[in-house]
Amino acid sequence: MFKKASFLLLIVGLGLVSCSKDPISDLSNEESLVYITNHDQSANYKQYKTFSIVDSVLIVENNRAGASLDDIDRAMLQGLIKNMEAMGYKYVGRKENPDVGINVSWITNTYLNVVSQPLSSYYGGYWGGYGYGYPSYYSYYETSESSWLISMLDFKNPQTTPSGKTFNVIWDAQIRGSAIGDQKLIDKMADSIFGQSGYLKIK
Amino acid sequence: MKRIIIIALFLGSVLPALAQEKPRLYTIASPFERYTYYLATARYTAAIPMGSFKDNYIDKASFQNASISIEWVLRNSPLSIGGEIGSTYFEKRVPRALYEGPDGTISAVQTRTVSQYPVELFANYHFLPRNSQVQPYVQVSAGASILDYTVYYGSLASQDQKVRFKYGVGVGSKFLFKKDGSVGLDVRVKYDATAYKYDYIDKGISSVNGSIGLFYRWW
Repeated sequence: MFKKASFLLLIVGLGLVSCSKDPISDLSNEESLVYITNHDQSANYKQYKTFSIVDSVLIVENNRAGASLDDIDRAMLQGLIKNMEAMGYKYVGRKENPDVGINVSWITNTYLNVVSQPLSSYYGGYWGGYGYGYPSYYSYYETSESSWLISMLDFKNPQTTPSGKTFNVIWDAQIRGSAIGDQKLIDKMADSIFGQSGYLKIK
Repeated sequence: MKRIIIIALFLGSVLPALAQEKPRLYTIASPFERYTYYLATARYTAAIPMGSFKDNYIDKASFQNASISIEWVLRNSPLSIGGEIGSTYFEKRVPRALYEGPDGTISAVQTRTVSQYPVELFANYHFLPRNSQVQPYVQVSAGASILDYTVYYGSLASQDQKVRFKYGVGVGSKFLFKKDGSVGLDVRVKYDATAYKYDYIDKGISSVNGSIGLFYRWW
């Protein structure tokens, strides 16, 4: 009896799940993107004149890090340079004491999830007439979310600490959403994060 | 000739019997008059947001609502009592805009949703006799709403799930398809409100719902 009841509950449960809505299924790639920018309220951007940028994108994946420079990374770096110049900053080499530095990273967090599969051979056994049941099956699935993280470091005013020099982040931008790897949208992403950060303008 | 006489005799014996049967049917009141009977209704509902819920969160009407109810139409009383479960869903898409928050400036296309699964008890007061073909009523209801508030920023979701008190007042009418029949139409206009406060919603979720339903009654 209990077996039967739980099977019915399962059917009801499946029915409810299949009724659940997916209100964002009609979003276009561009619409799915979320731009989050933040800045140091006390920073005076007028004091900075020059900037430099990393020569490749830092890939951070679950505490492992590496560098990458493929087409999409190059497009992102170029988009950022173009926007910084439009804001009035001068692009200089990394050895020429830039006032600010732009860091670009691609961060991926992967989570391992476990789910108990209630529809196991236990039910097969029930319908098939076998006398004993097996424990539920567990299945594992991974979810991962990636995001672009672009930060601006203050090289002009380093903080000296006993362990050495550190640099404050005076602006950062996060680009999240399901389409962040869409190369056609890279320019749009670079333009958008600067477009919503008018306070960076120095000319 | 003989045949005509036989037919006439036959009719003469049968017709009076029929004539006697007929009025007798109507001397016994319908079971729907005599007993407490059951009535089940399935409704499809259109909902229009109201008040601060409309001003601050979603102002778009919703056509994705339905409910089923079962009620006991009490004997010798203008009242019926019952229970209703349903599903309501509001959604609104807001084009890309900037949102200032403690974590900075967020630029996103917002998709605002709120879905509810209300579970309620209700009482109806009927104005006309309990077996008349048209039965206007007023209704009060109270219960709980299992609700899910989700705002999507692009493809990222911010979600809150709660169970909250809800109530409603409405007017409606039942229309039987035929006199003394068991199937009919139910039309109802109802004001529903759920006590809820979170994020964009500061004074609860309220709406005016117009529904059309089909009912079946039995005893």
